[in-house]
Amino acid sequence: MSLQTDKREFNERTTDGIGNPFMRNAVSSAQDSLKTRRLSAATTLGDWEQWRTLGQQIRQHTLKHLDYYLGQLADNIEKKGGHIYFAKTKEEASGYIRDIIVQKNAKKIVKSKSMVTEEIEMNHVLMEAGCELTETDLGEYILQMDDWDPPSHIVAPALHKDRTQIQSVFTEKLGYTGDESPENLARFARTVLRQKFLEADVGITGCNFAVANLGAINLVTNEGNGDLTAAIPKTHIAVMGMERIVPTLEEMEVLDNLLCRSAVGQKLTSYISVIGPSAAGETDGPEDFHLVVVDNGRSEILGSEFNEALQCIRCGACLNVCPVYRHIGGHAYGSIYPGPIGAVITPLLGGYDDYKELPFASSLCAACTDVCPVKIPLHEQLILHRQNIVKEKRTGAAERLQMKTAGRLLASQALFGKALRLANPASRLISRHGRIVRGPQLVRGWINARDLSQPVRQQDSFRAWLDKRKGGSGQ
Amino acid sequence: MKVSIFSTCVVDLMTPNVGIAMVQVLERLGCEIDFPASQVCCGQPAYNSGYLEDSKLAMKNMMLAFEHSDYVVGPSGSCIAMFHEYPKIFKGDPQWELKAVALKEKSYEFTQFIVRVLGITDVGASLEGTATYHRSCHMTRLLGERETPFQLLEQVQGLQMEPLKNSDNCCGFGGTFSVKMPEISEQMVDEKCGCVAETGADILISADMGCLLNIGGRLSRKGEPVKIMHIAEVLNHYNPAATKEEAGHEPANG
Amino acid sequence: MTASNKDSFLNLIASKLGRERIYDVQRPGLQVLAPDSYGSLTSDELIDILKEQCFFIHTQVIESNAEILQQTLDDLVAANGGGAVITSGDARFAEYGLKFANASVWEEAAGREQNILRSEAANTAIIFADYALAESGTVVVGSRPDQGRALHFLPAHYIAVIEKKRIVLRSTQAAADLNRRIQAGEPLGSSINFISGPSNSADIEMQLVVGVHGPLRAAYVLI
Repeated sequence: MSLQTDKREFNERTTDGIGNPFMRNAVSSAQDSLKTRRLSAATTLGDWEQWRTLGQQIRQHTLKHLDYYLGQLADNIEKKGGHIYFAKTKEEASGYIRDIIVQKNAKKIVKSKSMVTEEIEMNHVLMEAGCELTETDLGEYILQMDDWDPPSHIVAPALHKDRTQIQSVFTEKLGYTGDESPENLARFARTVLRQKFLEADVGITGCNFAVANLGAINLVTNEGNGDLTAAIPKTHIAVMGMERIVPTLEEMEVLDNLLCRSAVGQKLTSYISVIGPSAAGETDGPEDFHLVVVDNGRSEILGSEFNEALQCIRCGACLNVCPVYRHIGGHAYGSIYPGPIGAVITPLLGGYDDYKELPFASSLCAACTDVCPVKIPLHEQLILHRQNIVKEKRTGAAERLQMKTAGRLLASQALFGKALRLANPASRLISRHGRIVRGPQLVRGWINARDLSQPVRQQDSFRAWLDKRKGGSGQ
Repeated sequence: MKVSIFSTCVVDLMTPNVGIAMVQVLERLGCEIDFPASQVCCGQPAYNSGYLEDSKLAMKNMMLAFEHSDYVVGPSGSCIAMFHEYPKIFKGDPQWELKAVALKEKSYEFTQFIVRVLGITDVGASLEGTATYHRSCHMTRLLGERETPFQLLEQVQGLQMEPLKNSDNCCGFGGTFSVKMPEISEQMVDEKCGCVAETGADILISADMGCLLNIGGRLSRKGEPVKIMHIAEVLNHYNPAATKEEAGHEPANG
Repeated sequence: MTASNKDSFLNLIASKLGRERIYDVQRPGLQVLAPDSYGSLTSDELIDILKEQCFFIHTQVIESNAEILQQTLDDLVAANGGGAVITSGDARFAEYGLKFANASVWEEAAGREQNILRSEAANTAIIFADYALAESGTVVVGSRPDQGRALHFLPAHYIAVIEKKRIVLRSTQAAADLNRRIQAGEPLGSSINFISGPSNSADIEMQLVVGVHGPLRAAYVLI
């Protein structure tokens, strides 16, 4: 997998999503049930707004001093005998990991869920090097077994699949003979994967936050696969986006509380772990620990007008409230990062050539901004993207002309007055029984689905009414 | 109290009844009405589409139009929320920043003005029927006004309010979004119409005409017998003789 | 391969932030946002909060005491279907005089393979908690030579013994105390685990399944 999951046009991907009733049903019921769970988990913290502000302050402080905290992290990891590698590009990151594995002659790799490893195309690189790689997060494992179907949600990657589809994947690929109950499917995966953990040479995990003063990484999971991945193999490689760091356990605690409650409506998930290289006398945990810190475009965002996007803690709450995501699903975004945050960061990491539609795939309802636990102004960032796309003349010439004309018209009483007088007579040509039935493309988009009356006759307008009663002034 | 009406371009172009109702309610509550005629549009369509420079022309025109007003009141949470964005947009602009702040500080959405400035929740309206209310996203989240429409509707005699499921979800209007991404917008408005129909209400009320034209237009296309009413029209349902027009629209807004 | 690209990487970050590298930062104090409603709680009140939360996270809570602890644990092991038991090498097992049939202990001398195989073969793991967090139903455990990481994850059932004096309200207090110990230079193990109930997943149709990679069931015994 890479950042890009689907090379087709945005419209094709959207049409696919809209035409997938199971996916839409799964997404909308997940959204509806998570809403209640998230709200109740949030209210038990007391003043949720204050917690969000605190989360935002922690993220902003850390980003503002990012070089300092990453330096401190590096020193502390090395003190404990671990290795840290700073990768500017995705090729550097996945190349470094491949080199470790080749050097160790490692063949069997277990992996827990990590979005950044998708971004650096690590799985592809390692499999090409001849490794047997197993995703151990249940959702990711299902996708892997289904010939690496792309994830559609950053927290629940297989959200778009139903139990019947999963049962048939397991039956076909793994010889599963049980029924379609989630318990039995999960129990079966447990048995298969348990063996993989025990045999693995190397474990690879992501990193929710690195803890700078401790020289350790924080993993937040429910399944326990992250801990097994890091504890059993003799080598542990953790991969993190360079911005995912906190000064101490105290900041981590605040962010983990925001993360768990926002992501899944739990106070804390089952397993929150802070781990590093194995310490003296300990018999499990990694003898060899590597942390790979990935830039891959992030330093271009740092300090830019999109800086706040780096505050993201990948909770997925914005996906869970987004009415657009609700109907088109994650795959329509064509990126491993879907939903509102995906529409903000995908164009930053992947460029406008492939992703110029994403910032427009939003009604700017601001539900995302409202729910973000670290207060990223998501809908405002989408508007900033739109401004850049317009500045770069990537919108159609016809649209640019319309906007220029409308800009003049809507700023001038005289021109608008003329438009008001002409609107109704002009619309007669395209109307029947008082309703508009034809028109240019923009109008068609509306009337394909909705009735639309003709504009009011000038003599019936509000302004005319005001004039008649002489209630208006300045006329 | 002198109140400058900000009619909004949708009201100017499509739904005069809403402007008329708003004026009549405010006058009944003792306000003196003023209408600065040079006003046109708040600039939101172009701004939200990314055409910053084009949209600024409209915004500057509005700041000048209302420069001498004491209060600016409009029948749209979304358009008033746009006024509230002006200070951010003109931040650091020596000529316009202060004007932007001034406009923000004196601008209120219609129901907000009645409750928060006039301190009134019972305007003496009465309307027989069952209704549900659609909160507009911009009024709720950008303007931050979640209460005043409900406080006013609670006092309308004879009106029974039904809760709307998933009321936090956008109706799919989103200004130019509805025409730029019509396929997605249609799914959103369809779901919203389903929720409205589920309430069994005869009337759908909102404080934003954009949303109402969107949902109403779809309800009409689907043949759902639900009337749409702007909240100003509901609150003006006081003495039928006071208004020339029937307060309820046909669903198509005609 | 140690920190090879560090300086160029961090220099670029500093330049994007519009300044030179910095080598000294005071982290701002954190506002304490514990919910007002908790106030100062008695030990019994903390236990009530813990019990209520454990109901939601599918974790059995049993109040026991030093005298009957052996019996309580034996009953739990039997309820899990008997089988092999693995415990940590915590000194408190001896202090409370605890002994189990068919049991092994995680110990440094056994080495990696042996400890992992014993844990994998065990039906029940029993450990003592370092801290317990009432609000989230969490036990906090650190790794040590006599208490490996996989011990908490491989056995099918998990029993944590919690001394009541170790219950604090929430993660805030545990994180602050741990951070105090880190800053005082106290060597901690390579892993600190905050464990809240059995493993679970909602990856199939967002339906909660209890027991995925880690323990299928969890129980807390309060003494």
